[in-house]
Amino acid sequence: MKKKVLSLILVAAMGVSMLVGCGGTGTEDSQSESESKNSEAGSEDKDGEFVVKQDAIDNLIASSEGKTVHLDVWCSETTAYQEVMGEVIEAFKAQYPDVSFEIVIGAQSEAGCKDRVLEDPEAAADVFVFADDQINDLVKAGALQEVVTTYTYDPAVTNDEATVEATKVNGKMYAYPLTASNGYFLYYDSRYVSAEDVKSWETLLAAAEKAGKKVGMNIGDGWYIYSFFAGADLELTMNADGSNSCNWNNETGLKVANKIKEIASNSAFISINNTDATARMKASGDLVAYVDGTWDATPISEAYGEGYSATKLPTYNLDGEDVQMGSYAGYKFVGVNSYSQEKGWAMLLAEYITNEENQSKIGVATTEMPANTEAAKAPELQNNVALKGLSEQYPFSDRQVVGGKYWDPAASLGAGLADGSITDIQQALNDAVLGITQPAN
Amino acid sequence: MKKMINIIWRHLLLIFLVIIWLFPIVWLVVTSFSSYKGVNTFNFFPEEWSIDNYVQLFTRPDTAANFPAWFKNSMIVGVCCCIISTTFVVMVAYAMSCMRFKSRKGIMSFAIIAGMFPGVLSMIAVYFVMKQFGLIDSLFGLVIVYSASSGLGYLICKGFFDTIPASLREAAKIEGASQLTTFVKVVLPLSRPILVYTVINSFLSPWMDFVMARLMIRSKDANDWTVAIGLYNLLDRNLINDYFSVFCAGGVIVAIPISILFVIMQKFYVEGVTGGAVKG
Repeated sequence: MKKKVLSLILVAAMGVSMLVGCGGTGTEDSQSESESKNSEAGSEDKDGEFVVKQDAIDNLIASSEGKTVHLDVWCSETTAYQEVMGEVIEAFKAQYPDVSFEIVIGAQSEAGCKDRVLEDPEAAADVFVFADDQINDLVKAGALQEVVTTYTYDPAVTNDEATVEATKVNGKMYAYPLTASNGYFLYYDSRYVSAEDVKSWETLLAAAEKAGKKVGMNIGDGWYIYSFFAGADLELTMNADGSNSCNWNNETGLKVANKIKEIASNSAFISINNTDATARMKASGDLVAYVDGTWDATPISEAYGEGYSATKLPTYNLDGEDVQMGSYAGYKFVGVNSYSQEKGWAMLLAEYITNEENQSKIGVATTEMPANTEAAKAPELQNNVALKGLSEQYPFSDRQVVGGKYWDPAASLGAGLADGSITDIQQALNDAVLGITQPAN
Repeated sequence: MKKMINIIWRHLLLIFLVIIWLFPIVWLVVTSFSSYKGVNTFNFFPEEWSIDNYVQLFTRPDTAANFPAWFKNSMIVGVCCCIISTTFVVMVAYAMSCMRFKSRKGIMSFAIIAGMFPGVLSMIAVYFVMKQFGLIDSLFGLVIVYSASSGLGYLICKGFFDTIPASLREAAKIEGASQLTTFVKVVLPLSRPILVYTVINSFLSPWMDFVMARLMIRSKDANDWTVAIGLYNLLDRNLINDYFSVFCAGGVIVAIPISILFVIMQKFYVEGVTGGAVKG
């Protein structure tokens, strides 16, 4: 009997302590939340009031006295990125010697940043680097802090105009531009194909065939197949509700698709993804031209050696006219988490990372084109082969604004054209457009 | 003669199956010895052999691949879970098998029903509860998550305990042994095979788990990851060309602690079950 009573008491005690524990943390949390909300509102007011920005910074420093400012920063996991970001952060800390910082750099690829942030914005980094096509979803979820005012410089003026435009959602700026180099262009080995040959698909394929080599492009991917259709001025845009408008199945579209099939069926052409392509260049060396982006610059330069060159995408012949292929251009932005506990510092840090000096530092270290127009003029960047190819293609590129339903139908259309399994092209285009334009959810 | 052909035929079939099953493993092992860091889909065997991937794994940690830290983290989680879960499981199994108390049946069926729900279902709830307690991003939190419900997996162990003759426990009781003494000195020594099974199992699941670890570890700092998260991260688009062989080497290394554990435990497997325990 005694034992039973004792165990009952124990169980009850455990239960109560658990409930109390939960309740306690709950109320504390809501308290601290409301507190932080108050302070947010306060700081925003301050931002509005202070015309001289140095005062705002001093204020920030004064408000952080006696405590440690903890910030998480997420940027790409490549060693080059992590190292240069480490340097930038150290310099940032050195700028404010009176404040004790604890800044942790995390490795998170920009491409997957949105998914990780939206899993739980409260647990995500205060400052993160992300790819421009994620901005709509991030803003919709309320995870991005609007850039209302800045402390040290105006990113809207110093950066490339198209890039600044891309940081805006409904006319409001939500991120700081970092790079403008997320695009693709043509790498080629000048030992086998000349700068003259790479101007059009026709001459390029002929030259490669003569040399007994191959030309590659990943046609079975919506991101790349877009370039052919965009070149012929066909439409693919995203509507307000997240669905797409697309007219690839019209008469011009049919001609373009026929052309793609013709190129793909050329014996000197292979449709191959970038991982296989770089491996093939290394293994057999028969791939002498390939459409790819700056992220593969290192393996391709190693494979091509002396002949390593890059240029804009070739033209293709449509009804006797040379059509310049289009492409997608992407940007990388630095965003501030709207759930951040240290919003002021997070914004100042985001600003610091994207100022001219650091953009050029990051650009040189990671071989990416800075969004800042002055930083992009650095000689190291101007002489870089891959970046030269990228900037040649840049005038023909469009910002990637496309609804999620685009990718799968476009990829299967491309794959079908690449392996020749599509016989009724008009039908295939109709199907693809039907898939691309279906409602977003 | 006919028998001969039959045997040959069977062995050919077996060899064929062995090739199919071992193919990926052999590929993993040989790729881990490749000097080329990226993905090589053109040759099965690497062109140049090197042990550099293993050397890099342990001696040159960088921001992308910090294997020593991952290994340490996984080891801490694995060993802690192994000890806690094994203790839970055998104790629950003992209580269910050897002791008689009210609602024993009820608890047993409740545990079985609760165990039928896939743990993945409760993932989000677990995450938010752990977040409330501030236990995400910590190895301690992971250990709790992995070992919390381990007691529910008592069934196999209980089945084994049921086969141990009750007369042994009765004999112990007559000699004046308490439940604890009976459990530790009589039942456990007779249950080595199932103990081995439990230990290996409870080490293996946290050691290899990806889903829960990915959910609980939010940090993007490579020092905080476990082996599974870290290796997965090496397959990212930006890293795969520089780290694929390193990833393969990591995959091989992961198997080593399991193998060691198994070899140690193997000894106990072989020993008889309850044979010769009761002297007539």
